[in-house]
Amino acid sequence: MNNAAVSIGILALFLVAAVVLGIRAARGQDKVDLAEWSVGGRSLGIVMTLVLMAGETYTSFSYLGAAGWSYTYGASGLYLVAYLSIGMAVSYLVGPLLWGYAHRHGLHNITDLVAHRFAAPWLGAVVAVVATVFLLPYIQLQITGMGTVVASVSYGAIGLGLSYLVAFLISEVFILASGLRGSAWVSVLKDITVVVTLAVVFVYVPMKFFGGYGGLMNRLITERPAWLTLPGPKGDTYGMAWFISTALLNGAVYSVLPTSVAGFLGARSAQTLRRNAMILPFYQLLLFIPVLLGMAATFVVPGLKNSNLAMFEMIRAEMPAWLLGVIGAAGALSAIVPMAVFMLVIGTMWSRSILGRHPRTAAHQRPLAQLVTLGAGVVALGMTFLFPNVLVRLSVISYEGIAQLLPLVVLALLWRRMSMVGAVIGMCVGIAIVLALVITGNDPWSGINAGAIGLVANLAVTFVATLVRPDNPPDDRMPVPEFDTGLPRSVTAGSRPDGDL
Amino acid sequence: MLTNRKSLWWLLGPPVVYLAALPVANRVEPVVFGLPFLMFWLVVATLLSPLFVWLAAKGDPVWAAARRAERAQADKQ
Repeated sequence: MNNAAVSIGILALFLVAAVVLGIRAARGQDKVDLAEWSVGGRSLGIVMTLVLMAGETYTSFSYLGAAGWSYTYGASGLYLVAYLSIGMAVSYLVGPLLWGYAHRHGLHNITDLVAHRFAAPWLGAVVAVVATVFLLPYIQLQITGMGTVVASVSYGAIGLGLSYLVAFLISEVFILASGLRGSAWVSVLKDITVVVTLAVVFVYVPMKFFGGYGGLMNRLITERPAWLTLPGPKGDTYGMAWFISTALLNGAVYSVLPTSVAGFLGARSAQTLRRNAMILPFYQLLLFIPVLLGMAATFVVPGLKNSNLAMFEMIRAEMPAWLLGVIGAAGALSAIVPMAVFMLVIGTMWSRSILGRHPRTAAHQRPLAQLVTLGAGVVALGMTFLFPNVLVRLSVISYEGIAQLLPLVVLALLWRRMSMVGAVIGMCVGIAIVLALVITGNDPWSGINAGAIGLVANLAVTFVATLVRPDNPPDDRMPVPEFDTGLPRSVTAGSRPDGDL
Repeated sequence: MLTNRKSLWWLLGPPVVYLAALPVANRVEPVVFGLPFLMFWLVVATLLSPLFVWLAAKGDPVWAAARRAERAQADKQ
């Protein structure tokens, strides 16, 4: 058998296993209840929550993009590690906050949460549209990532178009069948494959090309010093101010990303999320491997046009075909799991906050959510074929756009008197600033992440509006300041704070 | 929501070690365990982050209440 057949065979085996695992997760599930599908019946324990959250954060961008980034720009790629660790710390507080509120009121994601908090269904619909616009590019990015991986490990035998289609089909099949719990199960396979293959590559590459780990580090330190500090070899764009502002912004955004929120709400208890926040940061250690390998690739395969292939090109010529197949499977699963959850949350948000609002459609929220989940995938797939570059460019601003929802989703739960009108105008101002800076090629602006600039303006508008005209919502719109024990409530809150921070 | 939870200040640990230390840590020398200093520092910060969250939880009355409730429920079963 030739190499391509072997590695494609191995890859196919893993993909079939993923589909089987994903579909099996649907056994014993209630087939009507939306929460059973959208947030796994709010029943995931610490292990499944950890695996799912790791599965969502470690996307094909981490696998390919981190290596590609460090190949081109050097150590600034480690902003990923910084923001994820900061995001976990934030999630110790925000995860249980969102969990408790959603659990109490039967909510499924940020859109119905906002609608409930402000007693404003229209606002839920607005948030659903905004979130979708900024999430769709991320789905397309995963489809593209999967295509790149498959084309590479099949030694070119499988074209990009076919692999895009495979990515779409596999993720739709299991997410439609079993929802969030299915993603958690596929994440188990994915995380094991990713950890094992990264460890193998991390041992293999330095041995093979540099005579060991010390040899690689010595050559990096003597010949590539610019890669090892900020701002890196390509000028000032990704300097220290950018690194700091991006890590802070993304760290804050992590807890309101609709995919993270789905993971939070899927947890069995608030305490599960606190444990998750404590353990998951260790997973970030893995991200150092692709960053180092990307730098190593500057010696082995210099001058690549598509830097995202840095890691694969480096190992493709040297590794046995079956191992390349396994590595390809890790890359493909890293695209499929997050992509499936992104589609699921778009479906959930549209069903809960737009299509399923009407009394006549309210009973059909689950099929509606599944329909939109399918539709979101179709749109992203179509865009991948028709306008491959537009969405990839947009995906850069996914976090910067979603960041503008922070006041409406999180601040609103901590600050009773926060003005809704102010936060909505703030959101619009923030998004306008982000778009203006990105379109005019000014992101980062003076070295600072455009999303952070937008968020500062957003918060300023929200604060001023609240000072001028504070809201005065009834108590039941606010989270109860009890101990969010996450277990059946026996103690009702005694005194309430007056709505200040 | 935030009253009496002073230990949550520990959650500022990760941003401080990753970011506030950058101006000092952004250098190649000294090389520690074969790693250029910036990378070594970021590994240290990554190992410290869970510790900060643990410290936050350790002094957090909400964490303690949740632990008690969990134990009470486990005893019942």
